[in-house]
Amino acid sequence: MILALVGLGVGLILGSLCPLTIPVTYSKLFSVALLAGLDSVFGGFRSALDDRFDNMVFMSGFFVNGLLAAFLVYAGDRLGIDLYYVALLAFGLRIFQNLAIIRRYYLKKRR
Amino acid sequence: MITYKRGHLSIAFVCMVLGFMLALQFRIAMDQKASLPYQRVEELSARLIETEKERDALQEKVASLQQVQPAPGNTEGEQMLRELRLRSGLTALTGPGVIVTIDDSKIKSKAGENQNLYIIHDDDLLKVINELRAAGAEAISVNGQRLMATSEIRCAGPTLSVNNVRSAPPYEIRAIGDSATLESALRMRGGVMETLQVWGIQLEVKAAQDIVVPAYKGASKFSFAKEAEEAAS
Repeated sequence: MILALVGLGVGLILGSLCPLTIPVTYSKLFSVALLAGLDSVFGGFRSALDDRFDNMVFMSGFFVNGLLAAFLVYAGDRLGIDLYYVALLAFGLRIFQNLAIIRRYYLKKRR
Repeated sequence: MITYKRGHLSIAFVCMVLGFMLALQFRIAMDQKASLPYQRVEELSARLIETEKERDALQEKVASLQQVQPAPGNTEGEQMLRELRLRSGLTALTGPGVIVTIDDSKIKSKAGENQNLYIIHDDDLLKVINELRAAGAEAISVNGQRLMATSEIRCAGPTLSVNNVRSAPPYEIRAIGDSATLESALRMRGGVMETLQVWGIQLEVKAAQDIVVPAYKGASKFSFAKEAEEAAS
């Protein structure tokens, strides 16, 4: 848990120091990939609470989901289908679901 | 409670990647907000107002400087100076003449027809001014810009530039001269007015007894031309 937070902090510092910027045309793809990553992390947290955590599933989910989401949005852009909003909705829903389950877990534990 | 069986390091790595992406996205969002077009518009309009104020102040200065009269005494020189100022367009003049108002055509251009035929161009205005000069106009201004020896009349996008000042239709040409001659010169059969009215360009000629033609407001400085030593024939 502590290690994860430390990793997050290091990543934040690196990201704010890194001079890298993403061109405007790709910022949509990047934000979808970011949302997919967030979803994976919350999913992993939830599965850890359920004692079902699998490292391989977590790792592959994080990277494959992010890349796949970005690729789908890119393809949708090319085909004239706005898959961007679909990805936002799908990942957003899942994040809220996972958060709700995590919240319930802690509420149950306090009783 | 939470037990990560294995792969603590991999979780830390994933979290690091996530944090990196978060920070990057945050910075991009901030950059985008900072470069929103409306901020540019605000900045530009502020600058425009500033420049307009500056221009007004400078125009006032020009007017006050032009009012400075040379010391009286040398009556011959004074008269010559007045004559020259009169001729060069540095003084506002008044007298009888005509006011010509020209506006774009109200006729809708038919499909496939060149729309350019229905709007005023520099050559239309030049034709009118040429006709007025031929009829003996002594002083002419276009939308408040006095025509001098160095004045240009030129299309500048949808507007017209006279003395490097742009103005949009309708154009008001004031000419001092014999109003009857000027008016009939324009209304001549097969003349300028008839040609332009074919395209629906609205041309209105009004004779008046007391037309005021403003003085030239710009700067007049020669940066290339010098006085020649001997009179070239």
